[in-house]
Amino acid sequence: MSDVEDETVLNSGDPAEDHEEEQEKQPSKSRRRDYDEDEEEEEEEDDEEDDDEEDEEDEDEGTKRGQKRAKHRHKKPAVNRFLDVEAEVDEDEDEEEEEDEYARDEFIADAGVEGEEDFDTVRRAADHARYDRRVREMDDRELEQVAEDISQRYRRTAVRYTGEMSDVPQRLLMPSVHDANLWQVRVRPGKERDIVFSLMRKAIDLEYGARPLQILSAFQRDSLPGMIYVEARSAKQVSEAINGLVGVFPSRGINLVPIEEMASLLQIKQQELTVTPGSWVRIKRGKYQGDLAQVMDVTENGEEVGLKFIPRIDLNPKDEASLDGRKRKKAGTGLSSFSMRPPQRFFNYEEVVKVYGRKSVSKRNQVFVFQNDTYKDGFIEKDFRLTALQLDDVNPTLDEITRFTRGQDGNENESNVDLSIIAEASRKAAISVLQPGDHVEVFEGEQSGVHGTVHSIEQDVVTIEPEGVDFDGQRVQIPARSVRKRFKPGDHVKVMTGKNSDETGLVVSVLDNVVTFLSDMSMQEVSVFSKDLREAAEVGTGTNIVGNYELHDLVQLDQQTVGVIFKTERDSFRVLDQNGQVRLVQPHQITMRRDSNRAIAVDSEGHELRRGDNVKEVDGEGRKGRVLHTHQSFFAFLHNRDYNENGGVFVTRARSLASLAPKGNAMKLGATDLSKMNPALSGGAGGMVGSGMMGRGPRDRLIGVSVMVIKGPSKGYVGTIKDTNGPHARVELLTGNKVITIDKEKLRRRNPDGSLDVLEKPMGGMGPPRPGGGQTPNPYNQGGERTPAWGANNTGRTPNPYNDSRTPAWSANSRTPNPYADHGKTPAWDATARTPNPYAQAGGKTPAWNSSSRTPNPYAGANSSSAPTWGGATPGRPSGSGWDTWDTRSAPTPFSAFTPGAPTPAPYVSLQTPAIYEYQTPAQSSAYPHTPGFLSGGIWGNIENTFELSPKWLLDPNLADKVAGIMVEVRGSYASAGQPGWHNADYEGKQGVVLSVFNTDNDTFQSTARVRFFQPVDPLQPIVPVPVTYLWPVHPEKKGEDVIILSGAQGMGQEARVEAVESRNTMVLTTKATFLVIDSHPERLVRTRQVDEVGNFVR
Amino acid sequence: MSQGQASIPAQPRAKQLRACLLCSIIQTPADFRKHGCPNCEEIMGMKGYADRIQSCTTTHFEGTIAVINPEDSWVARWQRTSKYVRGMYAVRVKGRIPEDVEAELESRNIRYRPRDGTDQD
Repeated sequence: MSDVEDETVLNSGDPAEDHEEEQEKQPSKSRRRDYDEDEEEEEEEDDEEDDDEEDEEDEDEGTKRGQKRAKHRHKKPAVNRFLDVEAEVDEDEDEEEEEDEYARDEFIADAGVEGEEDFDTVRRAADHARYDRRVREMDDRELEQVAEDISQRYRRTAVRYTGEMSDVPQRLLMPSVHDANLWQVRVRPGKERDIVFSLMRKAIDLEYGARPLQILSAFQRDSLPGMIYVEARSAKQVSEAINGLVGVFPSRGINLVPIEEMASLLQIKQQELTVTPGSWVRIKRGKYQGDLAQVMDVTENGEEVGLKFIPRIDLNPKDEASLDGRKRKKAGTGLSSFSMRPPQRFFNYEEVVKVYGRKSVSKRNQVFVFQNDTYKDGFIEKDFRLTALQLDDVNPTLDEITRFTRGQDGNENESNVDLSIIAEASRKAAISVLQPGDHVEVFEGEQSGVHGTVHSIEQDVVTIEPEGVDFDGQRVQIPARSVRKRFKPGDHVKVMTGKNSDETGLVVSVLDNVVTFLSDMSMQEVSVFSKDLREAAEVGTGTNIVGNYELHDLVQLDQQTVGVIFKTERDSFRVLDQNGQVRLVQPHQITMRRDSNRAIAVDSEGHELRRGDNVKEVDGEGRKGRVLHTHQSFFAFLHNRDYNENGGVFVTRARSLASLAPKGNAMKLGATDLSKMNPALSGGAGGMVGSGMMGRGPRDRLIGVSVMVIKGPSKGYVGTIKDTNGPHARVELLTGNKVITIDKEKLRRRNPDGSLDVLEKPMGGMGPPRPGGGQTPNPYNQGGERTPAWGANNTGRTPNPYNDSRTPAWSANSRTPNPYADHGKTPAWDATARTPNPYAQAGGKTPAWNSSSRTPNPYAGANSSSAPTWGGATPGRPSGSGWDTWDTRSAPTPFSAFTPGAPTPAPYVSLQTPAIYEYQTPAQSSAYPHTPGFLSGGIWGNIENTFELSPKWLLDPNLADKVAGIMVEVRGSYASAGQPGWHNADYEGKQGVVLSVFNTDNDTFQSTARVRFFQPVDPLQPIVPVPVTYLWPVHPEKKGEDVIILSGAQGMGQEARVEAVESRNTMVLTTKATFLVIDSHPERLVRTRQVDEVGNFVR
Repeated sequence: MSQGQASIPAQPRAKQLRACLLCSIIQTPADFRKHGCPNCEEIMGMKGYADRIQSCTTTHFEGTIAVINPEDSWVARWQRTSKYVRGMYAVRVKGRIPEDVEAELESRNIRYRPRDGTDQD
């Protein structure tokens, strides 16, 4: 049709010119006719021109007109001629029209004018330039006429576009029952389009075959992944059609689409995403991925948009070559990973020139060109395809917008974007967030300024109930876009969407639609759009769980790094790693979650440190906190709400922590119960000390016993003993699946019938032998010898049934030489070499002990020496290296001789002894605080010295159920300054036995004890209530007396019996409950007697 | 003319497939250039003109329909392509025909129905 236009223009315009051109064009026109063979309207003139053309083409100069033309052409340069021919082809078509339709004669008539041919080149060039314009001008013509002509000429080749169907309203096209049905077919997602194409090709292929496809059409929609729709009369036709196609799942059914749904399948619209200049988009891919950009312009077809955004120019290009080599630079930027992308920064001519050189940047007008990108006002301006942009959910943040507004120089750019643009952009969303009851205000339109609560929402119209005097009860309907949520300072709000989602806080200021509030969580001011807010009463905690990870989880970040999550953000975490560094990690960067539930670290005092313990730093800042996790027994992650930094989580070394809550006494260092370390004693699953004869020792029979707790916070709970450790047992409670460590005394064996029993029956085969206990078969006092082995009263000359030698080893009197204290001297053990050997009754033959000259010592080749048999104990010692030093010190000891035998010799004895007779044991005797295996014995002394009984000792809760029978003495009842005294001190010095204590629990009213005096002042009144503060314990003096321990390792209130009196300051006791053998100072003990209710001694 | 048949693009996934803005037929740019639009070449005049193809067709289309039997197909009728050749058509095509074509249609008293789904009635 361009032909037409040209033609007409030519005709109407300048006939002379036309004529001239005609002459020139004739030949090519006819050439064209060669293939337009059906042209009906060829005429003589054409034939003539055909001839001309031939002449022209063949360069045949023999024809009459050709001569002239040829001559003419020769004048022209070759190039020009070529151009002319090109042009002729175009215009040729126009000419044809002309010939066909209009005044052809005219042309012929004018054909003779040839004088102007000289100007052809110039004119034709002008014609070409006008071509496009003529296309437009064509509209001025009578189109119908023109079109009709065309159809006549082209009716075989081009079908006239009639658009006959476009007048039918869509609704009349709705499917009817006569139409074929649509069938939904499941296909492999992503393959929909391929399958539709395959169906098309298959239909064509089989069209003339025996079984052509019966389906009428098939289609696919991008919004309906995994399915295609086939139009056919029956499901059978569909299955035939799809048979054999890969990626189709006929087995999942060929489902009929109801007629009423057919049209909707084709009507589905994707969210209409229109871009208009000024709107915000995000860039989907590449260096600027995720960056906000503003649309500057949109190309006509809407495929490309011009964007303006903040550039990311790498001002530290890696390879120097890129500075001058543009090509390499290009490659470099293309490869540079996304993570390494340079920060957003406004284009700065000076900076860029400094890095890339002056040549790299050129300036045109106000625009810089750098690396093929144009920069204006600091922004980069670049065209993007629409597909590379994210148009919805752009949600520009205030920060981003502010950067845009601020522009290059940091000044507010008044001409620039204002917030209303984004507000506009997000207005659509704003409508959807309105809810009845919301407090809104109208900010535009006639009702501007009115505020009230939303009553109802119907599509885009909001009905509000305004507040104010003028409106009472009226309701106003307002377009939803004209209202916005209204907040006032002091409101408590919650963010519903966006980056700060779920934050809550108190509104501090409201500026138009930007609300600033003080976050409850971070205590920082946050500015958000009012549309994202709701009034909310609750205080947000934020979400604590992202993915599989939770706040305060210990997570593995890489091989070397673990950390604790201390803040969860929308889709990332803040993690404090073991080095104290804070990292922002995404869930996928976390390798795994670590479980430190069972991890144990050791604190500065050597105590166990478990998760959940409350601890405090002993050095540094002295921070306190609760242990969240320990890592590799070295790092401890603590948490304390009082610290703002890192959400209260901090990391420190476990070694610099100390427990805040005192642990059980037994756990304390000073009270270290050596029996705990003695496998023979603890009888537990010990074996750590590795004793040959004992082996690992029998499994403690208590393990697995069902018990009930009878005291303490867990009282009443039933559980199973999992482990025992000295006086403690670890009990797994049935409730809560909790394992607690508890004194055995607080446990009672629980029989299957529910009745309770003492945990450990006082003897029998239960448990390992407990040497030293009075009731325990004691190897040292077998044979009914009353005086036990240690019995050396103060004489040190204990009669020993086996030999009458003294047993200085246990007598612990000063005569016992300490082998360590002064080397060379006889050590404690061997003493006189006549040491009784409990095992070898034939005395002296015991190899283990002996070391006596008379005893053949299989280990000690050195007889006659007074060397100790310490060698026997060697294996029991935990530290071999420590031992060496000993060795050197006790030079005379033929120690080396024993060494070979070290692993095997009589470990039983050697193991027991040091533990039991703590005091006598050289290790304990504090000469060498560094005795391996034992913690300093020196502490004992300290504790002893500082022991002082409280005046109200009788009121101690530990004694509460044991007061009856405690022997007391009245002291301090004299009147003194400020003290009235008591009964004129009549009872001073008198002893009695406590029957009961009346505890008033306060100081105003004296707590009293009923005491029966042995020698009462008034014989008729032997029982007298005495203020407890005047009562002091009567200390035991003799062996066999029952006592209650007032202070010591076993804790207050333990009942015991004096087994031996070592010296004035030491007594050996056996506790009644646990049969532990312990030492104590008499002053820490109080005698008790069994009494009846009136104070008569029972036994 | 329903006997006619458009060339079926060999590569369904090819990114550069283009859909005619007027009749929504999908072809490769090469086919448009070689044969023009099988339905509306007369009015669009794309054959041989690359820039014309650029302005009269687009890659922004969604949904593909294999119209196998245009005369009988309801889908084709609904899409107003039942008088067109067999071939692949797009369900929706984004964009509008160039103004000159629009004017041409107007002059022929043909109602232009954009195929971007904005058409209401």
